Amino acid sequence: MMNITNEEPKLMKYLKIEDNKGYFLKQEKEQTDQWIEIDKITKEDLMNLLESAISTDFEIDEYIEDNIGHKAHQIVYKSIYEKFADLINNNKSFIDECDSQFRSAIEKYESIE
Amino acid sequence: MKKIDLHIHTIATVSDKAFDFDLSKLKEYSERLEIDAIAITNHNLFDFKQYNEIVKELDITVFPGIEIDLERGHLLLIADNKDLSEINDFSKKCDRVSSLIKTKDDYITLEQFSDIFPTLDKYLLIPHYQKNPIISSEIIDKINTLISAGEVSSYKKFKTCIKDSESLVPVIFSDSRYFSSMKNFSTQQTFVDLEEITLMGIKSCLTDKQKVFLSKEEGNEFFQATDDGLMLSTGLNVILGERSTGKTVTLNKIFYNHENVKFIEQFSLLQNDEKKFEELLSRRQSTVSEEFLNEFKQVIDSVKNIDEKQNEIEIENYLNSLLKYASDNEKADAFSNTKLFSENLFTKKDLLGLKNLISAAKTLKENSEYKNIIEKHLTSQSLESLEIDLMKEYLKIEEFNLKKDWVNTLISKIKDELRFRTSSTVPEDVDFYRILIEKDKVKKFNRIVSDLKIEREIDRKEIRGFKIVAIAKVFTSATHLKKFYRRQTSLTGAFANYHLPFKFLKSLQSMDIEETELYKFFIDIEYKTLNKLGFEVSGGERSEFNLLHEINDALKHEMLLIDEPESSFDNIFLKNEVNALLRDISKSIPVIIVTHNSTVGASIKPNYIACTKREIENNEIVYKTFSGHPADKHLKSVNGEIIDNYDVMLNCLEAGNDEYNKRRTETYEILKN
Repeated sequence: MMNITNEEPKLMKYLKIEDNKGYFLKQEKEQTDQWIEIDKITKEDLMNLLESAISTDFEIDEYIEDNIGHKAHQIVYKSIYEKFADLINNNKSFIDECDSQFRSAIEKYESIE
Repeated sequence: MKKIDLHIHTIATVSDKAFDFDLSKLKEYSERLEIDAIAITNHNLFDFKQYNEIVKELDITVFPGIEIDLERGHLLLIADNKDLSEINDFSKKCDRVSSLIKTKDDYITLEQFSDIFPTLDKYLLIPHYQKNPIISSEIIDKINTLISAGEVSSYKKFKTCIKDSESLVPVIFSDSRYFSSMKNFSTQQTFVDLEEITLMGIKSCLTDKQKVFLSKEEGNEFFQATDDGLMLSTGLNVILGERSTGKTVTLNKIFYNHENVKFIEQFSLLQNDEKKFEELLSRRQSTVSEEFLNEFKQVIDSVKNIDEKQNEIEIENYLNSLLKYASDNEKADAFSNTKLFSENLFTKKDLLGLKNLISAAKTLKENSEYKNIIEKHLTSQSLESLEIDLMKEYLKIEEFNLKKDWVNTLISKIKDELRFRTSSTVPEDVDFYRILIEKDKVKKFNRIVSDLKIEREIDRKEIRGFKIVAIAKVFTSATHLKKFYRRQTSLTGAFANYHLPFKFLKSLQSMDIEETELYKFFIDIEYKTLNKLGFEVSGGERSEFNLLHEINDALKHEMLLIDEPESSFDNIFLKNEVNALLRDISKSIPVIIVTHNSTVGASIKPNYIACTKREIENNEIVYKTFSGHPADKHLKSVNGEIIDNYDVMLNCLEAGNDEYNKRRTETYEILKN
């Protein structure tokens, strides 16, 4: 299990393994969150997960091959899990990079004289 | 008092523009300008044969010399002319310099210089001092006490050096080339307080600021302005004269004989066209726009290559291929069944942040200005180990990245091999990190543009009562946007996205707009000139503003020439604003005004006046110039002829004595009563 912040994490799980299958959390406006099987994931879902990975306390179940019986789920879950785990590992440098991104420009133009 | 010019070119070397040396012109120059001694100083070259020809032809002292490219600056090295064997030795040394310098960019090092000229005390050394290309002060220090004088390029610099106790003794020379078609001669020479010309005598004068002058009798308050002998003040001068008597010709002569002169020509300031004026203003103020948009420019550079659509496609391809591969799994063969077949590549860690951190630590460690404050909080030892630790971390990550690189290459290769042999779909790869960073960039870009579009005053400058205000304004239409787009194509399509910054950027890019110009299309910077009352200026005020601006600009130059400022202005403005400003500026650089106007001519209180006259002598037109102090009863010509100062004033400024009296008694008195 991994999370991206150090301070009092109020974790939210986005990828989980249950009953030998992989699931992702689908969040849609004005609808309750739903767990959907990983092989039903669309690119929009993936984009939303990407957004969440940087904006909230993002938690995902570690990929353990034996815990997923479904072969197709294994493949998809493993690949997506690795991608996000990579992101989480690089999260600090991501935050640093974003923070320094255009900092001087933002400071210069947001001040109204 | 002797007049010397120790910087003369007689051969076109690789460092010169082409010219054919004409010895008779050099002779004419030395005679007309009454020069007592010259030095032949060609670039990195001494031609003994030509030197002898010049010595034979001229009746004045001619020193052998050379202008050496030394450590990217220029140095005059002048030898004595007394001993033939010494000149021979000098010539051989110069040949060694020539052999080292083959192109105009070559130079010799100080070491090579000392090797060629081991004993320098028998020469006179004059570096380019306040004249380009300069010999740096470190080099001057290294050559040590042998240098006491330095060449300057203008009277202003000459006078500054005289006053500055730290500076070298200034000398000013013509640095001219002599060819048959040359029309005017340089009037830049130096007077030295010397009875008889010898190299040692000159050397001794050049150690003493009390012994060098710009003029023969008037110290440094006067300089020779034209080669026909006209002396002018280094302060404020007025040139009077009726029409067609050669005033403008005189100004042109001064302009061409001196470097870096500001010349405000007659009528050049009239500004009736509002649009042109606005363009002129924008051009002059372009640094304000550039400064304001500088950060934005960098932002544009950083986002212009982001392709959101392509990123989406990459995610889509990744997912589709992954899902397809997973669902095809039952059909999997031995090749696609391998683990590596569906393996993702490693993402490399970006080291930019760490790199910046290391350089920050280095800055802290090496800063000497605030060393005390830094050391109060951080010992130099801890900074040292911080830097080392960061560098170790850098190396560690870098090593890891290299390993990832190696593995990635291997994985790709194996995947390619497997792909050939299997019927399964190959899962594509995608870089989530880059895509996320780019998403963040676009988000920030949109935010920055919306901040940028807040209308505001970004700069305000004042020039003598006028205010130049720079205002950032949004573009209001596609036509408005065309301000920076010279082509025929319409920008209407692009402008439709103006409120969606990133989309707008992409549509601008599709219009083939130069990438370096893109930043100009997001916000317009308008310049307005306001008068004293805060209103936008009128046509007449625009001209006034222009004059004040130009005169202010003159301070970046070495001399200011103005031809008939009255042609564009009324008397009140001339008296209240222009006269005071010109007097101010003349404290820094020589100012020469040509005028017919009594407000300028008589009220400005010049240091010196000159009057041009056209006379017919023996059926030929002769132009003469008379000059003197404003309070002198008479003005004198170079040949000693005199005219009455009072007559000159009345004739040139008031259309003659009779007319002046008439105007005074008949017009003004009647009005007054």
